[in-house]
Amino acid sequence: MAGWSYNQRVQSIRTRVASKLPLELLWNLTLRELRGQYKNSSLGWAWSVMRPLIQIVVFMAVFSVFLKIEPSTGNPSGMNSYGFFLMVGLLPWGFHQIGVTAAARSLSGNSALIGKVFFPRWVLPTSTILALFFTFLIEMGVLLVAMALIKGHFALLWIPVLIPLILLQLVFVVGFGLLVSSVNLYLRDVEHFLGIAMQPWMYLTPILYPLNLVPNDRYILGISYRTLYQLNPMVSWIKAYRNILYDLRFPSPERWGALFIGSFLMLAVGAAVFRRLEPRFAEEV
Amino acid sequence: MSSAAISVDHLSKRFRLTHERNQSLKAALLRGGRHHYEEFWALSDVSFEIPEGSTFGIIGSNGSGKSTMLKVMASILRPDKGSITVNGSLSALLELGAGFHPELSGRDNVYLNGAILGLTRADIDARFDAIVGFAELEQFIDQPVKNYSSGMYVRLGFAVAINVEPEILLIDEVLSVGDQSFQQRCTEKIAELNSDGRTIVIVSHGMNRLREMCDTAIWLDRGALREQGNPIDVIDAYLLDAQSGGRDSARAELIDARRKADVSVEILDASHLPTDVVDYRGSGTIRVRFDATDLPASSIVALGVYRHDGVHVASFNTLGSIDFVAKDVVTVDYHVENWPLQAGKYDVSVALHDHTMVEVHYRADKAASFQVQASSAVAEHGLVALGGTWTDQTPESWGE
Repeated sequence: MAGWSYNQRVQSIRTRVASKLPLELLWNLTLRELRGQYKNSSLGWAWSVMRPLIQIVVFMAVFSVFLKIEPSTGNPSGMNSYGFFLMVGLLPWGFHQIGVTAAARSLSGNSALIGKVFFPRWVLPTSTILALFFTFLIEMGVLLVAMALIKGHFALLWIPVLIPLILLQLVFVVGFGLLVSSVNLYLRDVEHFLGIAMQPWMYLTPILYPLNLVPNDRYILGISYRTLYQLNPMVSWIKAYRNILYDLRFPSPERWGALFIGSFLMLAVGAAVFRRLEPRFAEEV
Repeated sequence: MSSAAISVDHLSKRFRLTHERNQSLKAALLRGGRHHYEEFWALSDVSFEIPEGSTFGIIGSNGSGKSTMLKVMASILRPDKGSITVNGSLSALLELGAGFHPELSGRDNVYLNGAILGLTRADIDARFDAIVGFAELEQFIDQPVKNYSSGMYVRLGFAVAINVEPEILLIDEVLSVGDQSFQQRCTEKIAELNSDGRTIVIVSHGMNRLREMCDTAIWLDRGALREQGNPIDVIDAYLLDAQSGGRDSARAELIDARRKADVSVEILDASHLPTDVVDYRGSGTIRVRFDATDLPASSIVALGVYRHDGVHVASFNTLGSIDFVAKDVVTVDYHVENWPLQAGKYDVSVALHDHTMVEVHYRADKAASFQVQASSAVAEHGLVALGGTWTDQTPESWGE
């Protein structure tokens, strides 16, 4: 726009509001989400554990008991439990799914704030995701304790390896959240689309079944089903979580590299789109 | 302190009006990427400066772009053309309690709202008691704000926002909330901030309040800057415009022209002859003559004297002095025995109001002007000549 470049604007905002990252604000908004979430419900926080618990019971009944899907055997852990196989994949998926869909609504749902107060907008999707991340950490903690108690599993020793993976996934979800939240203000279809797309996406990720059930000897246009299947970035995430918590081994350096690059690429794209669209947020909400 | 807190330079802001809610993929695809919206310029080519430390009023009818202007200043909206420069920290009270979470307690919301407005936890800790005290919510601060009355809600919002103590404070209409005593405290707090040298920008429809508080004002009309300067002049011009059919400015001019012919203002010398020179400390009279046929009974004549550079010297009206009945032509005199004005050129403005002083029937700036003649004996400067005398009160012994 004539006489008013984006950089100029960013510069003036920086000098006007704060030169440092608004960590206080981020933290306060995260607390708002956490505290507000289960107010006035008698079970309160128990609900955040109920959701994955009920999912797990249903999935175990349908896929393990009725359909008799065999989990892969942990190598080198030797673990063969559909329940844990499922949970190790389902919990990170749940964070991804809920984080992205909630972030998508985080700007459109705070129109009063965006239209009336100036503050860095990115804290809205980010704080929404951080609040859910907190729940995710609790779920993972419960899972680790359950594994240690029931299977005498050594997963607890793998926490130092798990932490970088969880943080990387947080980066990935925040990047994704920035992207969908900003685009959703211009095209409200995004939040509806995500609501529908998440379910098929979950079934096309090896959460309920091991990857080796995806045929490697059938082809579309000369590419095997499994190769196509692995284009889904969530396959890599689930594989890495299974490596650490189910197999008890390090994910390969290639896997780490791919996840690292993928996460920060996602964040870069999300942040770039967000910044591009941000100046007109107050008009679009 | 002559630097500008905010300078607005050829600023324009465009809104896109979509006729239907076409924020959907289907509509976007059907449009084929083309944009189907009407453009509406909420602000067009507006330039002005807000001096540091001033109380600055923005007036205008609904839809004139006042709120848009505040939002651009607060960087909530981005200008499409031109630029705006803000020197100093800025806080905007566009909506009180924006971002309050109804389920959370007043205490939690103070911290949350403070963080949104850019305060750190330590900042809020230091201000917490002042905020709660100002809002008078000591008893209720640990209750969820959903249980608050709307008055309590807004009081808390105002208390947080005002305690941010920014260098520049933007206020939109929010003074019209709360009871009388709370409004009074808001006004006092704003005056206090202003006397600390902070800049206050107010958008309001409360003309009397603006007249009292502001030292400069602008009038926005359909997104364009119509008048700027002395708030009394700007507000009167705005009120006159609103009375005479508002937006239909052609009609307003017509009425203005017709009425102008009906009111005459003259300056008379000591022997009641028309003049345009008044002697320093001499006697003089301002005579107003007008046709009162169309005017309601008990109308009021108001006169204002301004120095040539626009400084307001004095205003006076017939309220309580003359209760003239409407007849064909009314003549009233305002006589001053010795004009206490310094040498210079002065303008007289005239207005005819109804008895409540709200409705303006007629108004003319510079209806007449006169010159005060310098006297060689004058050794005073400034706006008025107090005409006092000096005496030496030093005790006799002191000099020995």
